[in-house]
Amino acid sequence: MSKTTLSEAGAAIAAPDTPTPRTFKRRSKRMKAALPYLLVAPAVIYLLGITFYPGIYAITQSFYEVKFGPWKPVGWANYAKLWNDHQFWQALWNTFIIGAISLTLQCLIALALAFYAYRDPWVKGWRIIFLIPMLFMPSAVAFIYKLMFLDGRVFSDILIRLGLIETNLAIQSSVWGSRALLILADVWQWTPFLFIIFVAGLQSQDEEVEEAARLDGASWYAIFWNISLPIMKPIIAVALILRAIDITTMFTNVFIITKGGPAFGTETISYFIYRTGFKFFNFGYASAASVIMLILTIIIAQFVVKRAFVSART
Amino acid sequence: MASNRKKSRGESLFLRYLILGGWALFCLAPVLWFLSIGLRPRTEIITPQPIYIPTFSLDAWHMIWEDWPMGKYLRNSVAAIIGSVIIDLVLAIPAAYSLSRFEYKGRDDIGFYILSTRMMAPAIVAVPIFFLFRNMGLLDTIWALMLVYAAINLSFVTWIIRSYMLDIPKELEDAARTDGAGEIRILWEIIIPAILPGIITASVIAMIFAINEFLFTLLIASTPDAYTMSVALANFTGGSDGVIYNAIALVAFLAFVPVFLVVVAIQKHLSRGLTMGAVKG
Repeated sequence: MSKTTLSEAGAAIAAPDTPTPRTFKRRSKRMKAALPYLLVAPAVIYLLGITFYPGIYAITQSFYEVKFGPWKPVGWANYAKLWNDHQFWQALWNTFIIGAISLTLQCLIALALAFYAYRDPWVKGWRIIFLIPMLFMPSAVAFIYKLMFLDGRVFSDILIRLGLIETNLAIQSSVWGSRALLILADVWQWTPFLFIIFVAGLQSQDEEVEEAARLDGASWYAIFWNISLPIMKPIIAVALILRAIDITTMFTNVFIITKGGPAFGTETISYFIYRTGFKFFNFGYASAASVIMLILTIIIAQFVVKRAFVSART
Repeated sequence: MASNRKKSRGESLFLRYLILGGWALFCLAPVLWFLSIGLRPRTEIITPQPIYIPTFSLDAWHMIWEDWPMGKYLRNSVAAIIGSVIIDLVLAIPAAYSLSRFEYKGRDDIGFYILSTRMMAPAIVAVPIFFLFRNMGLLDTIWALMLVYAAINLSFVTWIIRSYMLDIPKELEDAARTDGAGEIRILWEIIIPAILPGIITASVIAMIFAINEFLFTLLIASTPDAYTMSVALANFTGGSDGVIYNAIALVAFLAFVPVFLVVVAIQKHLSRGLTMGAVKG
């Protein structure tokens, strides 16, 4: 409030010197009101160009048959076809099941690691070591796992040497084996993301509360469960949402490691869109799938994400 | 009583180092294996029995520079990434200033809109973006990559910078304002120097996401003119030769080392950056 009165006073003092005081004052006032919008506008316009425009484009395209020739209007046919497309539902299910297992594992592991690491004198060292997988390009990580488990069979070989199995594992031909491989690669690379955030959350809490509880004889475990975890809840929510977004859009690992196989058992929704659009050049159909995804995204963003970010900030 | 406590602490220490050490091993083993793949000849990669102690060889190193336009991939990556970070900063700093310093109608909705673009799956916009760039004649150019990377990271960068701006005490600018400084001068001379760590953190995180980007690059780039390291990797499959793993491994480490050094340098700010400022670690 004091800000506006101050600047108004400044304008009033400046006014006598200017030839047309009235218009100057009015314009500068209007300028003042418009300034915040002008500052934020370029970013918003840029993002609209890259989200809103494609959104409209995808919605339009989804009502046409778009292959190589001219667009042919088909009404709701693409959506009707999606509804009956077994592979589309399978892709939704795969995305959900792979994402849910992977996210749960990452969250539990990261919490356990953070719980043990944040009071450790070498916490900085642990953090740097645990960070390493996250700093490799995802395409490189995909190749590491492809080599270890499929092409190079190191994993099988180690298990054989340990006497746990007798012959090479046929991961490639097993749906759950392939899913497990995608999950493992994701857990390996991205658990650090959650770990870093959880450790920071634990370190930033009030040490005195913890100390008091400890002097009362509470165990570290009880302190973590009853004091630290409730405080951390908003932070955990934000971290999990960010991770969930990336997991549900999983593409690179599928593209390099499994190509969606075997029997479409690891085809995620991103890979489904890529395959229909850019392998079969059925762009109208791919757009219909994109629109369904877009609607799901907007619903989730409105109800879950907004709330989580607001509560984390206050 | 005292001995009892000592004992329970000793036990938990053992468990602590077992778990942390175990995870460290799990993190590092694949990395070391991959490094050993990069430093061995091709004939020792895919064999009936894995070779655990390979012959040392720099074949792959010569291969990536002599058989492939690695210099070009590197240059494309660096140019697209730096360009995208510059676009992001130019757009994000004023936007963050507006979101953190002014009270106006619709501010929170605008802020949330910017945030929500982070939730958009790349695959949703992949088809339209492909046509957009095709109509603009930008397919297979680093300009398109620059624009896409900037778009992907803009929400992150804006929110991180906004979070750092919120931390600056208002008194600092109020003093300048009484001295008659305009908003733009305040932003340039007071705010930006004060949030430099935030700007650097945001740039580093944007850089990492840009290096990692795969789907759009795959769609946009179709020749070495626009291949980045991330997508070039997937093309190291010389027809009948199969996947050329030792070259892939070396390129992976080539990209990893600079990223690792930069991230260690900004370690303190990392958690805050990764949550777009929601966690003040």
